[in-house]
Amino acid sequence: MRESWRRIRAVAENTFLEAVRQKVFAVLLVFALVLLGGANYFAEFSFQEQFKFLKDLGYATISLTGLLVGLLGAAQLIPAEIERRTILTALCRPLRRWEFVVGKYLGLVALLAVMLAIMGAVFWAVLRWKEAQLIGLEGGEAGVVQAIQAESRDPRLWQAFALMGAKLFVVCGLAVFFSTLATSTTFVVAMTLLVYLIGHLQSVAREQWLESGEKAAWFIQLFLAAVALLVPDFNLYSLIDEIVAGNVVPWRATLEVLAYSVAYVAVLLAAAACLFEERDL
Amino acid sequence: MSAAVWTQSLRKEFTLGWGRGRVLAVEGLDLEIKRGEVFGLLGPNGSGKSTAMKMILGLLRPTAGRAEVCGNLAGTLAARKQIGFLPENPYFPAFLSGLELVRYYGKLCGLGGKALEGRVAELLSLVRLGGEAGRRPLRTYSKGMLQRAGLAGALVSDPEIVMLDEPTAGVDPAGSREIRDLIRELKERGKTVIFSSHLLEQVEDVADRVVILHRGQKLREGRLEDLLTMSGEWQVRARGLGEAQRRELHAWLVQHGAEVLGEGSPRERLEDYFLRNLPERERR
Repeated sequence: MRESWRRIRAVAENTFLEAVRQKVFAVLLVFALVLLGGANYFAEFSFQEQFKFLKDLGYATISLTGLLVGLLGAAQLIPAEIERRTILTALCRPLRRWEFVVGKYLGLVALLAVMLAIMGAVFWAVLRWKEAQLIGLEGGEAGVVQAIQAESRDPRLWQAFALMGAKLFVVCGLAVFFSTLATSTTFVVAMTLLVYLIGHLQSVAREQWLESGEKAAWFIQLFLAAVALLVPDFNLYSLIDEIVAGNVVPWRATLEVLAYSVAYVAVLLAAAACLFEERDL
Repeated sequence: MSAAVWTQSLRKEFTLGWGRGRVLAVEGLDLEIKRGEVFGLLGPNGSGKSTAMKMILGLLRPTAGRAEVCGNLAGTLAARKQIGFLPENPYFPAFLSGLELVRYYGKLCGLGGKALEGRVAELLSLVRLGGEAGRRPLRTYSKGMLQRAGLAGALVSDPEIVMLDEPTAGVDPAGSREIRDLIRELKERGKTVIFSSHLLEQVEDVADRVVILHRGQKLREGRLEDLLTMSGEWQVRARGLGEAQRRELHAWLVQHGAEVLGEGSPRERLEDYFLRNLPERERR
């Protein structure tokens, strides 16, 4: 087991190193950081609206950057290695194929985690910066200061951040799954994006399927069942929007979504490993 | 003791997909490669050499038949632990340096710590990529340097068997000679070396035994001496004969019933001539 973990770590480190040395990810990060920093200059509304705008833009920027990193990173995973044939020099060694798949996933997740941490830290700094600016502008009245600090230091923001991370890790799992089937990077990016979009409608399909009974034709029922059972429900992560809108989301609901994410990733990786095991290289 | 590599009735068919049929890459391949042997898989492009190697490595699953490596079923972890592989054309992660590449492959083989670092330094020095050269990114390497880095990577776990797929293809004569010298050195260290090549004249120098493949099937197999020696003919190389003695020798041969098939000064191989004319430091 220890040897197995050592090999997985070697693959993960190599995947992370490859991504870090590519300019595209650094450019994406710089772009995101500029956007996050620039959001602070919109100051034409009330302080509540300013914070709402900052949070909306901040989460949208982090989410979009994370999605792009996940997709581009996934494109570099298995299909690119097969195209370049570098996979042969790795898998001819005493490395199990499932170890390779898990190592690739963990490398991608590590990259995403580092980028999320950097963007999160900058986002936090921008919020505190805005807080200092607004306290200076609005005066030092205790009630106003408290209200501003309640907006900028809201602990629920980290709750939203954890949910966003979980959502992106599921996207990475999807990308790894498709990369074990695919022969081209375009296929992986297209399929992952497609399932990501369908995943936002999954709950609608599930409701339709459960309610359709015998009214719908069998192939429609089959399609709805397939979408409901196989595609991850990305609507669950709409809790992020609730938090950003200022609504209270219980931690229990958050933990349930995190557990769902872990389970879904585990199933995706197991399926990816099974498919990859049978593949000729 | 089990053979280094043993295959029985090995067969590989590739399905083309979308109903376009199948391609037969290897058919009924029986091999027994002894430990410590230098074995050549020869044949033109598309003859099944690489496919056979990939099945032995476990990268491809045979459609039928069986392959074993040191008594273990090919493709299992135990089998792959015995093999170091250098693929055709060096395909390595270009973002790594030579040093990082060998270290990465060492980690995949379960090595770590000081033992790995020592081994990496030793191998890079063996393939002349020590020092600054080892720290450069692989994308700046020449083909010969990549091949040498790959060879260091193949040897990092000190495997029993070293498999080289077209190791001299695209390499200049000096690099090619170097690889052949390295194959000899590996044999001296007791390793089994299996290599494929379509550059037949380069094989003669190093292989103990060869198999010739054609369209996935075994055409010939045996020791090079047995396959190449023309036992019905005799050749003499001599120095110091004048024109008169040459004519006399020719007449003597004819008189004794020999059919003279060729006469004249022997020619050096172009590769040997080229290497002999390079400056000393360029020959290695």
